[in-house]
Amino acid sequence: MPAVLSPSPLPAHSSPTLHAARTAGSAFSLTLALALAAPSLHASLLTAEQRATLPPAATRPVDFVRDIQPIFEASCVQCHGRGKAKGSFSIETRGDFLAGGDRGEPIVPGDSAHSLVVEMISGLSPDDVMPEKGKRLTAEQVALFRAWIDQGLAWPDSVNFHRHEPANLRPREVGTPAAAPGLEHPLDRWVDRYFRAQGAAWPAVVDDRTFARRVWFDTVGLPPPPEALAEFLSDPAPNRRERLVQRLLADDQGYAEHWLSFWNDLLRNDYRGTGYIDGGRKQITGWLYTALARNVPYDQFVAQLIHPNAEAEGFTRGILWRGAVNASMIPAMQASQNVAQVFLGVNLKCASCHDSFINEYTLADAYGLASVYADEPLEVAECDKPTGEFAQVKFLYAELGGIDPKASPEARKQRLVELITGQSNGRLPRTIVNRFWQRLLGHGLVEPVDEMDRPAWSPEIIDWLAEDFVANGYDLKHLLTRILTSRTYQLESVGLSEKPETFVFRGPVVRRLSAEQFSDSLRFITLGDYGKAATRYNRNVGLSDLGDALPLRPSWIWPTAGAERAAAPGGYMFKRTFTLPTGPTVATLAIAADDNYTLRINGSQLGNSARRASTSADHYDVTPHLCAGENVIELIAENLPPDDHRGDPIPAHKIDNPAGLLAYLRIRIGDEAHDVVTDRQWTAVPLRPATPAAAAPLAVVELGGLELSPWRLGPDFLDVAAAAPDTRPVARASLVAADPLMLALGRPNREQVVTVRLETATTLQALEMTNGGTLAALLRAGAQRVLAPTGGDLPAVIDGLYRRSLARPPTDAERALALDLVRAAPNPTAGIEDLIWALTMLPEFQLLR
Amino acid sequence: MNLDLFSLQAAWRRTQPDAWTRRRFLQTASVATLAALAGAAPRSLRAASQTPRLPATADRVIVLWMGGGMAHTETFDPKRFTPYSTGLDPNTVLSTFPSIPTAVEGVRFSEGLEQIASVMDRGTLLRGMQAADLGFILHSRHQYNWHTGYVPPQTVAAPHLGAWIARTLGPMDPAVPAFINIGQRFDLGEGEELKAFTTAGFLGSEYGPFNVPFPEQAADAVRPPAGMGPDRFADRNKFYRRLLETSPIGQEGSDFQKESLLRAMDNAHRLLSSPASRAFDLSLEPLESTRRYFPGYQPGQRFDAPLDRFGGRYEEGMVGRFGLGCLLARRLCEVGARFIEVTTEYIPFLNWDTHENGHSRLVGMKRMIDAPVAQLVRDLDERGLLDRTLIVLASEFSRDMMMEGKPEKAVKDQVPVPEVITDPKHYGMHRHFTAAGSVLLFGGGMRRGHVHGITADERPCRTLKDPVTITELHATIYAALGIPPDHGYDVEKRPFYVTSDGKGVPVRSLFARA
Repeated sequence: MPAVLSPSPLPAHSSPTLHAARTAGSAFSLTLALALAAPSLHASLLTAEQRATLPPAATRPVDFVRDIQPIFEASCVQCHGRGKAKGSFSIETRGDFLAGGDRGEPIVPGDSAHSLVVEMISGLSPDDVMPEKGKRLTAEQVALFRAWIDQGLAWPDSVNFHRHEPANLRPREVGTPAAAPGLEHPLDRWVDRYFRAQGAAWPAVVDDRTFARRVWFDTVGLPPPPEALAEFLSDPAPNRRERLVQRLLADDQGYAEHWLSFWNDLLRNDYRGTGYIDGGRKQITGWLYTALARNVPYDQFVAQLIHPNAEAEGFTRGILWRGAVNASMIPAMQASQNVAQVFLGVNLKCASCHDSFINEYTLADAYGLASVYADEPLEVAECDKPTGEFAQVKFLYAELGGIDPKASPEARKQRLVELITGQSNGRLPRTIVNRFWQRLLGHGLVEPVDEMDRPAWSPEIIDWLAEDFVANGYDLKHLLTRILTSRTYQLESVGLSEKPETFVFRGPVVRRLSAEQFSDSLRFITLGDYGKAATRYNRNVGLSDLGDALPLRPSWIWPTAGAERAAAPGGYMFKRTFTLPTGPTVATLAIAADDNYTLRINGSQLGNSARRASTSADHYDVTPHLCAGENVIELIAENLPPDDHRGDPIPAHKIDNPAGLLAYLRIRIGDEAHDVVTDRQWTAVPLRPATPAAAAPLAVVELGGLELSPWRLGPDFLDVAAAAPDTRPVARASLVAADPLMLALGRPNREQVVTVRLETATTLQALEMTNGGTLAALLRAGAQRVLAPTGGDLPAVIDGLYRRSLARPPTDAERALALDLVRAAPNPTAGIEDLIWALTMLPEFQLLR
Repeated sequence: MNLDLFSLQAAWRRTQPDAWTRRRFLQTASVATLAALAGAAPRSLRAASQTPRLPATADRVIVLWMGGGMAHTETFDPKRFTPYSTGLDPNTVLSTFPSIPTAVEGVRFSEGLEQIASVMDRGTLLRGMQAADLGFILHSRHQYNWHTGYVPPQTVAAPHLGAWIARTLGPMDPAVPAFINIGQRFDLGEGEELKAFTTAGFLGSEYGPFNVPFPEQAADAVRPPAGMGPDRFADRNKFYRRLLETSPIGQEGSDFQKESLLRAMDNAHRLLSSPASRAFDLSLEPLESTRRYFPGYQPGQRFDAPLDRFGGRYEEGMVGRFGLGCLLARRLCEVGARFIEVTTEYIPFLNWDTHENGHSRLVGMKRMIDAPVAQLVRDLDERGLLDRTLIVLASEFSRDMMMEGKPEKAVKDQVPVPEVITDPKHYGMHRHFTAAGSVLLFGGGMRRGHVHGITADERPCRTLKDPVTITELHATIYAALGIPPDHGYDVEKRPFYVTSDGKGVPVRSLFARA
């Protein structure tokens, strides 16, 4: 295999020590620069003898564009241009260049031999050479540079070294080309142009069955159920594929449960993991599921994440690790990195430590965005070393507007929402268009998907899809529909053999089922489920929207006024007694507390929240716990002193912090409502009274209603309160924690944002699937379920398994083989178990083609 | 996998003419090779022709992990012994065991480590291990730091030492996973935090750990699933092959995705059916030999002491489990494992994590490690494998009775220490100490009978001479394997190195031939 031996191309910055050396060097050079800073004329670096050895100035006339610009581009702008100014020295324009930096004036006009820049680029003063790293200038280049100075520093106004205008930033209306016969879909018209330009013919379109399997997995994440598939296949309508897409996308629950995994990866939402136990991290599952199930327009979806209420704040709160963390990983910096990566497709990770070497983002950019999420000015640290300078709030793209540094934290977040979701930002729609395209067709229009500053392989396709997406109200399902109903999506798949340097589109790339799709399909094939969800989220919240119909409005309560701003640490038992004429038909409770709660009804403890960060609404079915006559609900709520997770003492002004409790107990007896909400009818008893007298019940204060800051739960809370109990079993991996099988198949640990999963099959995965306990147990139980109702009709069982897993009946040869296997097995269950295993190991099952 | 692997494997093959054939290598390497070519896996920062390799003194590494914080003053760096008596001033207690001589004149260990002491003449002892300053002390963060070389959190998932090595050197035998992790369960507390570093991270799961959480049941890891006999297992696979041939898709042309899937299945099956897989089956080891690792061993023995965090008896009840892990490591070395970690197991408040009963629990911990560590050294030496196997016995940090952190960076105490000791449960090293720590190295080109580093004889028993950081220790391990400290891979266009920022410097004086 000769391909193995051909050396792989080196990445642009492949010098192995580059990263280390630069990061170390930059701090050093800064100190040095400050120490040597001179007001005007610099101290000469060269001795007279050294100066005599300078390459003489070139004698020919120097042309800036031909002779000097390439030197600047190759050796200088990486640190002194494109928005960066090491040592306060920028060469973006002639004026910047002549103004110099910390080291003083770079040029002595007409005297190149005494110009600082020449002294430094000459390399004659070994400790003070520019460029600091990388290839030094040749004698010929120094000679040209000298001549340029001596000849009067000509520099055309048209040349500058400003930042490049990033690609994909401004919206661009590209319109729709005229339709060719059979290519009515506007997306296909653009792809047609692309193919024509490439001199390529349209590849064939897949058959209905292949299309169905593809589209089922892409919309609801499962294989097609045999009956629904048969219905589709027998549909004579020419637009049956469009109708299928619409029907599938109308399944709000299926859509939400499938796409939840995609968004969980992007938004770092999980059910277990670092930080969840001790309040260092907060789930957004409830908010996210509801937003997906209701198909909230994407601009609002993003707005709610960027300027969140208590339900959605987990994303920008980030993860608080215990102990000291690198300055680049404080929560505000995480918010900066993640907002930029997820919504704008931009990598600020490098720029969070130092001006980036891989793109044009600077430390000031990363801190500028982070400052939106900081209560106090952030001190800038370079490579974890404090610089003594404080960050200015700043948006990445000045072209789109700025943020007033004097604005309040709330106003800054609101402004960021405007900048990112405003219609002059063409990056937001393009980034999500590209992510969806990558997900559905296997290779992004822009690759890598988090380098959206780069152009797409077809700017018109991404621009048109983005334009269409915005024009249709940022409707994510509309975007999906556009792609899924196109002929482009329906082309035969292309097996990727090698990722070429320049991508050529010939059809969707073969994809592998995700860990969740594999795991869910196994349940689907074997008629199983996961039992309980790993989250308390009630799926009915997303599917109905009845909050407005509730008769009461709860208030946030606490025994002390102003507790929503500050309350002393301490806990109370909040209590309310009420009478019901009979036991309830149905009773549910929605509850949120700052910082935590324990729920007790009629003496039984029914649940409690995490210790901290419990301000999202939880939902309980309490029907069996209420009775005719007097009922007592007790909610123990605690306000804890803040915890910075560093083990450091808490500053006095932070010890008093927000506290509150909010609950809606919805009780139905027949059609009658007997609802109870938190209000002044409750009493509170201190948990740890200082004196016996202090143990007397206290009156509570109604702090405010659902819109009260800082929680701003609003109608979201009432929707939770109005939801019927969720009694359906959980059949989707997106709602449970990862098991060893899913981990092996690449479900990520969500401590980092994950936008693309590796799809390569590995030996360890294959081992987990060949003899791992998780799959083995699943197969055993599954085989029993599959066999139980059939009365031993093996051909029918085999037929059903094929249809459910591969969306087709077995061929005669396959049926005969399968029967042989099952009959040769020690018992039919074992035989079916092995058949399911073999079917699900087939590339035909694991790959989407 | 990459060109580095190819050339290294080629070099290895020259020294081991019968170990394996080129054909076998190509079969196994293909998945990852294809992955690398497809851009799915991170690329090496160097082209093969540029890979500067150091002369290797070791081919494989065994990490013996003392999870939970092993006090240096109670193990390999004993100080003045103060026996228990009611009314002790805790400030006066430095060691709760007397010291014993070792095979090296002038080097003493703590009582209970007699067998390891007897093989000290084959080892190098580092006494100045420096844990990082991570503020408020958490075991899982320090373990992450020790195992990846990077301080968490990181913006990309950092790979475990074993994954770095697996990625760079590949398996020694294609039928044995390159990174085997023995003895750690992930459902006993801080499991998610442990998983965060027990991973190949951005290198991709091909290089991830083959986890064997129960050494006594290691054979299960390479056996057919429970309840399935070998015949049925073979039949199932045969059927799968026939189904593949029969399936309409199976007859279609090949593509990368399909090839990688089938190749992975082949590799898995090869491992499960290879002679090497017998190494996992401890029942094939002669009983007397097993008993040298765990004197009380009874065939089929399981370890299921209740996880009693306060009784102080758990450790005694688990003696033997780590020993079987060491035995398994030896057997895997013999069939060509590349990187093995055997842990005493990190469980919050158990094993080396002695927040209480520090003295009495250490009696059990020492029994847990003494015989098997010594026997592993002897067995590998006897088989001629020690010279090319680097054993590293280490812990995330040390412990002290009084000091949390280190003198110049004291951090918030987590364990209350009474003014006067009136209960044996307070007798022992209960706080987390980061200014010193012991690491024991054997084989792999390290010196024999050598001590590096000196610590103070009075509290705080900190490093006085020759401190060694985790980065330096890693650089030393990599150097022994011939991997330069600035070897790295590209992730999101950022260069990521085997040692932090590529800056690790090996401690040359530890090598027998510096």
